[in-house]
Amino acid sequence: MELAMTMTDGPTGLTQTVDPEPQPPAGGREACRLAAEASQPGVDPCDVACEAMPGHCCGDLTTADEVWLRKHTAVCSYCANMLHSYEKVDSVLERLQDALTPVGAPPAWKPERERRRAGYARLDSPIGPLLVAATEQGVCEIGFAFREAEDAFRQRLVERGFAPVHDESVVQRVGPQLQEYFSGKRDRFDLPLDLSGVSPFTRSVLTATAEVPFGHLTTYREIAERTGRPSATRAVGNALGRNPIPVIVPCHRVVRSDGSLGGYTGGLWIKERLLSIEGRAPR
Amino acid sequence: MTQALAAQPTVDLVGRACPDIVVLTFDDILARHQGEIYRYAFQLARNRADADDLYQETLIKAYRAFPRLDSNANHRAWLYKIATNTFLSDRRKRGREDVLDEVTEATMPAPALDHAAALDARALLAEVEAFIAGLPLKQRLALIQRKYHELSYADIATNLKCSQDAARASVHEALRKLRDRFGDRL
Repeated sequence: MELAMTMTDGPTGLTQTVDPEPQPPAGGREACRLAAEASQPGVDPCDVACEAMPGHCCGDLTTADEVWLRKHTAVCSYCANMLHSYEKVDSVLERLQDALTPVGAPPAWKPERERRRAGYARLDSPIGPLLVAATEQGVCEIGFAFREAEDAFRQRLVERGFAPVHDESVVQRVGPQLQEYFSGKRDRFDLPLDLSGVSPFTRSVLTATAEVPFGHLTTYREIAERTGRPSATRAVGNALGRNPIPVIVPCHRVVRSDGSLGGYTGGLWIKERLLSIEGRAPR
Repeated sequence: MTQALAAQPTVDLVGRACPDIVVLTFDDILARHQGEIYRYAFQLARNRADADDLYQETLIKAYRAFPRLDSNANHRAWLYKIATNTFLSDRRKRGREDVLDEVTEATMPAPALDHAAALDARALLAEVEAFIAGLPLKQRLALIQRKYHELSYADIATNLKCSQDAARASVHEALRKLRDRFGDRL
């Protein structure tokens, strides 16, 4: 069924094209390509419509062309069915995409020789035995040994792209400052940190948190504001829950705006203990 | 490996860090795009083991090339390009001689009109997936890049080493074939 009708006016050959669509503004950007094609002599608008349908599926058509296509299919049932079947292909592709989504996180990718070596050792502390890992760059991970097995700790290091290696020298490197902190003799750490393998947002959360001084408290909200995402308090909570270097990066100093403690991955009692070391009575 | 500041800040330097300057490290880019690149690898390789290998190889190459990259570069498009190149050169190495332009039509016979099978959604998806896998490689890659990853035709053209018009035509042809094969059964 043709929409653009070309009528020949007698032997003079004058033609008049009746285009049911309003003419696009001359030289306007939204000039309708499809309408122009369909109004060419000898061209079947249905061919034009069907040719345009894959483009419709890919978001290639201009608004004017989309409008033309919709108008054509409103009056042409063949093309309407054709468009409908393209749209069904589209939704199958969407379902296929879901089905083809691999389960689980992407694998750790670095080949062994390119992984940064992370030495780790076990350290005793007033908050229980700790697993502490450090690369050449700095302290990279602290785990609570009573909460996770050594294997799980190593796995976390692998997931961050490190090559974990048992190394007792970490005790001498990191132990003294930690012990001083726990016994109330140190209020700031003088240790380089290695935050690689951590997402940019988490890193910005940890960086903001590291600025909170000893004995002070801040809120999830304030940290969110400092990272430039004031409403992302839950994301901040999640990021702090993934703090790879607790105690040194002081997520224990971050509490809820309503005064309640909030969470602590190692166990809330640790948060309370650390705050009490810093002279903040538990709420 | 980073493009500017190499060392991670120490705790006492953190207060002096300037929050306005964002220098992306390779790890930042990886964190941002690894999910979609892994999905892309899986869609190309069609099995987990090959996908893992493709993903690893892609990231190793990207890691090595990263220092030479302009900091204003479109990192997402760059990763897809490396993944595509890696996939294609792996295929060549494994003796899969088909080149992008070669026609390797699916040899699956047209299915019998079995309404029960047509209604089995999972079987249908598997059939569609197999059909896509049998498309000429250029059309298959163009379709995946456009429909699953919303790459621009400019980027697809770069990845497939063809013109933008050819990239668009490849995607459209793939959709046309899908419609012809499956449009009436869906």
